Amino acid sequence: MAARRAWQVFIMLGGLFAWAAQFTILYGATSTICALDRAGATVLGIGIIPATIIGGTVAALAAAAAVLAHALRRHRALQAADASAADVFMSQAAILISAFSLAAIAWHGLPAFILPACA
Amino acid sequence: MNAPESPRSFEREKPEFPNPLPRPDDEFEKLKKAWKAPKGISFITAVNNTYVGLWYVGTAFLFFVLAGILALIMRAQLTVPESDLIGHDLYNQLFTMHGTVMMFLFAVPAVEAASVYLLPNMQAARDLPFPRLSAYAFWAYFVGGLVFFATIFFGLAPNTGWFMYPPLSSLKYSPADNADWWLLGIGFIEISAIAGAIEIIVGVMKTRAVGMSLDKMPVYSWAMLVFAAMIIVGFPAIILGTLLLELERAFDWPFFIAERGGDPLLWQHLFWFFGHPEVYIIFIPATGMVSMIVPAMAQTPLIGYRLIVLALIATGFLSFGLWVHHMFATGLPKMSLSFFSAASTAVAVPSGIQVFAWIATIAAGRIRLTTPSLFIIGFLFIFNLGGLTGVMVAMAPFDWQAHDTYFIVAHLHYVLIGGMVFPLFAAFYYWVPVASKRALSERVGRWVFGLMFVGVNVTFFPMHITGLIGMPRRVYTYPVGMGWDELNLVSTVGAFMIAAGVALFLVDLARNFRFASEENAGNVWNAGTLEWLPNGNYATRSIPHVVSREPLWDQPNLSEDVEAGRYYLPGTATGGREALVTSPFDARPQYILQIPGPGWQPFLAALFTAAFFLLLTVKAVFSSAVCGVLAIGCVIWWLWETDPGPVRPPADIGGGHTVPVYVTGPMNHSWWAMIALIVVCGMIFTCLIFSYLFLWLVNPSAWPPAGVVPTDLPPGGIAAVLYAASALLIGAASRRLRGEDRRSPASVPLLIAGAVVLLAAAPALDLRTHWETALSPSAHAYGAAVYGIIAFQILFVGTSLIMGLYTIARWLARKLDSVRRTTFDNTMLFWYYTVGQGVVGLLVVYGFPRLVGGP
Repeated sequence: MAARRAWQVFIMLGGLFAWAAQFTILYGATSTICALDRAGATVLGIGIIPATIIGGTVAALAAAAAVLAHALRRHRALQAADASAADVFMSQAAILISAFSLAAIAWHGLPAFILPACA
Repeated sequence: MNAPESPRSFEREKPEFPNPLPRPDDEFEKLKKAWKAPKGISFITAVNNTYVGLWYVGTAFLFFVLAGILALIMRAQLTVPESDLIGHDLYNQLFTMHGTVMMFLFAVPAVEAASVYLLPNMQAARDLPFPRLSAYAFWAYFVGGLVFFATIFFGLAPNTGWFMYPPLSSLKYSPADNADWWLLGIGFIEISAIAGAIEIIVGVMKTRAVGMSLDKMPVYSWAMLVFAAMIIVGFPAIILGTLLLELERAFDWPFFIAERGGDPLLWQHLFWFFGHPEVYIIFIPATGMVSMIVPAMAQTPLIGYRLIVLALIATGFLSFGLWVHHMFATGLPKMSLSFFSAASTAVAVPSGIQVFAWIATIAAGRIRLTTPSLFIIGFLFIFNLGGLTGVMVAMAPFDWQAHDTYFIVAHLHYVLIGGMVFPLFAAFYYWVPVASKRALSERVGRWVFGLMFVGVNVTFFPMHITGLIGMPRRVYTYPVGMGWDELNLVSTVGAFMIAAGVALFLVDLARNFRFASEENAGNVWNAGTLEWLPNGNYATRSIPHVVSREPLWDQPNLSEDVEAGRYYLPGTATGGREALVTSPFDARPQYILQIPGPGWQPFLAALFTAAFFLLLTVKAVFSSAVCGVLAIGCVIWWLWETDPGPVRPPADIGGGHTVPVYVTGPMNHSWWAMIALIVVCGMIFTCLIFSYLFLWLVNPSAWPPAGVVPTDLPPGGIAAVLYAASALLIGAASRRLRGEDRRSPASVPLLIAGAVVLLAAAPALDLRTHWETALSPSAHAYGAAVYGIIAFQILFVGTSLIMGLYTIARWLARKLDSVRRTTFDNTMLFWYYTVGQGVVGLLVVYGFPRLVGGP
C-alpha cells in the first residue's frame, strides 16, 4: 500500500520533477560549459550548449508526456472502477500538473533558439 | 494496522454516528482535565496550539509593529532632502533591520504561527502531533528575536542590508559584531522555522478529521503543506550560507574572498535560492487564507478547487527556478539569465489561476462587503499591481535599468504587503471570533482597511516614479533639485496613514479581543469549515466524520452532534492528551497518538539554545558552550518522557474502529518527522556540495591550487569502510531488537556501542589525514571547501553519537524493547543518513580533484 501511494505521489508531481530536472540540466550545464570555456565544442555538428538544451528539453518533454499519458489511462481506469475519491483526485491532479509542466518545459527551452551561449 | 488504507474510502454517503448517546457522565470531564492549561507561572509551560498559536501570532505582530516603526523613522528622514534627522550609520541599521525583521521575524513566523493555531481546528485534530516542538520553536523565536531586535538600541544591529552581501559583510569591511548578530541570530531563527515546518507537514498529513481525504482537505491545509515543503527545501540554503560566512568571519576560511579563490557570488546564489522562494513561502499561506475566506464571504463553495491545488504545487516548484532574477546585474551569461527570466514569467500563470478562481467564486456567490472582504479586495488590487511590475522586472533589460532603485522598493512592497499583509489582516478580522469571545468591530475595521489601503498606495505608488527617475535605494538622504522632493514627501504621508491604520487595529483588538478557550464568539460568518465547530483546549469534543469540503454547510447539525460526543474519540482512551491519527490519503483512523502535555523542558531548551547562539555572537565562547550543553540536556530530559509505548490495549473510538495507542515504523508520526528532518539535512549537504563545485568552477585550473597535493586515497577508503561497518552494526541491532528477549544477554546496546566507536573513528581519521598533509582551511577556497565538508560531517557524527548513547540509556532504563522502539527507529534513520552523507563527502573530497585532472 505504501509503495502504491508513493508511486501515486510521484506520478502526481512527475511533470514538475521533469521540469526541475530540465531546469537543473539547462542552467547547470550551460554555466559549467561557459565557466570552463568549452562553448566551442560540438556534438554531432551542433554546438554543445544548444545540443544540451535541445536534448534536455526533448527528454523532459518526453518524460512529462509519458506521465500525462499514464495519468490519463489511470484516470479512465479509475472512472470505470469504483475508485476512492482520493484516488480520482490524485489522478486528476496528475493530469493537470503534467499538462502544465509540458508548457513550462517548452517555454524554458526557448532561449536556446534566441540567445548566444556564453555572451 | 487496525484500519489499513484501501481504495474504498469514506464517500459521500451520510455517516452513521460512531458513538451512541448518552455519553458516560465523567467522559467529558476527563477529557477537559487532560487538556487543562497550567496555572500561575507554569502558564508559560503550556504547549497546546490554542495557547502557543496565539502567543506566536502576537509576537509576530509585535515584530510587525516594531519593524514598522523603523520604517517610519526612515520615512521621516526622507521627507525632505538633505535632512539630518538621523545619520547614515543608523539609517543603514534601520533599513537592514526593517527588511530582516519584516521577513524573518514577522512574515514567516506570522504565517507559521497562524497555522499552529488554525490547522488543528480546521482539521478537527486535538492538537498538532508535536506540541512541545511548537512550544520550543515559539520560545526560541521569542527570546532570540527580542534580543536580536534589541541590538538596534546599542548600535550593534546589522547594517549591510537584509541580504548581507559579502564582501561588504566580510570581516574586512564589517569588522564589528553587527554582521555576526545577523548571521547567528537569523540562522538560529531559521531552525525554529524548520521545526515548525516539520510539525506542519506531519500535522497536515496525519492528523485530519476522519473522512477528510486529500480531495476534501481545506485549501489552507494544502497551502500550508506546500509552504512547509518549501521551507524544508529552501531554508537549508540560507542556513548553509550563514554558516559559511560566519566560518569566514570567525576563522578566515575564504569562501567568499576572491583573492584566495572564493567568490562573493556564491553567497548570492545561496541567499537567493532561499530568498526568492521565501516570497512564495510568505505568499502561499496567505493565498490559503484567502481561499478559505472568499467562499465564506460569498457563501458559496470555492470554484476551481483542483486548479487551485495545481497552482499551489506549481508555484512551489517554479519558485525555486527564479532566484537568479535577483542577480540579473551580476554579469552572468545572458542565456543563463533567460532561463530565470522564463521561470519568472511562468510563475505568474499559477498565481493568475488563483486570482481568477477567487474572482469566479465572488461572482458565483453573493459577496458581503465585510472587513475581511474589503481586505481581500485590497489584496487583489495591490498584489496584482505588484505582480505586473514583477513581470516587468523579470525582463532582464528592464531590470538592469530599475535595479537598486526605488522602483524595486515599490514593487516588492506591493507584492509583500498586497500578497501577505492584507490577507493577514483579512484573516485577523475573519478568524478572531474563533479565538475570542467577541468579534472585532466591523465599523472600526472599515476605517483600518481604508487607512491602510489608501496609505499603501500613497506610500508606494510614487516610488515607482522616484525609482524610474533615478533615486537609488538605501540612501539616507538626497540633494535638492533631483525631482524627488515632492514624491518623497507624499510617500512619507502615506507611511503615516498606514501606521494610523495599524494603530486603529490595535485599539480595536484592545477593545474587543477577549481570549476564549471555550465559548468563543461562534460561527459569525456562517462559514462551512471545521474551525467553526464549538471547541476548547481539547479542540472538538469528538472528532467528526466529514463528507465534503464544507461540512458545516453539507452536514446538518454537525456542530451539535460533535459537541454531544456522537463522533469519534469523545473522551480520552489513555487518560492523557491524545490525537487521532488518520491515514494520509483517505483519512481513515489509524492509531491514537499520545501527546505530551505541558512541561518546562521546551521552554528551558529554547532559552538555552537562544543563549548558546547569542553568546556565541559576542564571542563569550565558554558561557555559550555551557548553554549549549544545557540545551542538549533539556532536550534529552524532554525526550525521555516521550515514546511511551502501548500503555493500554487497542481502544474503541467508535464506529467499529478499535485502534492501537502506539505504533512503530513508517506509520508512526515521528518516522515521518525524521524523514522530513533528513530532507532538511540532505538539502544543507546538497548546498554544501554545490558550493564546493561552484568554487571549483571559479578556480578550474587550481583545484587543488598549486602546491597542494590531493590527499591519499587509502585513508578515505578506510573511513568509508568504517562508516559502512557502523551502519551494518545498527542494522544488526535493529534485527536483534525485533526478537530480543530481555532476559537473554543484551546484544542491542553492545551493537549500538560498537557502531558509536566506528562512526566516531571515520571522520577522525579523515580529519587527521587532511591535517597531516598540511592542507590549510584559510589559504585558499579549496582548503576551506574540504574542511567545510569534513566539519559538517563531524557535526552530524556528533549528533548521531549523542543519539546512539541516548538509545543505549533508554535500553538500560528498560524504556526500549521490541515493541517500544520508536526511539531506536529514529536513531537508525538518522544514523543511515549520516553514514550516506559521510560516504558521499569522502567521494567528493577524495575523488573529485582527481576526476577533474588533479594528480
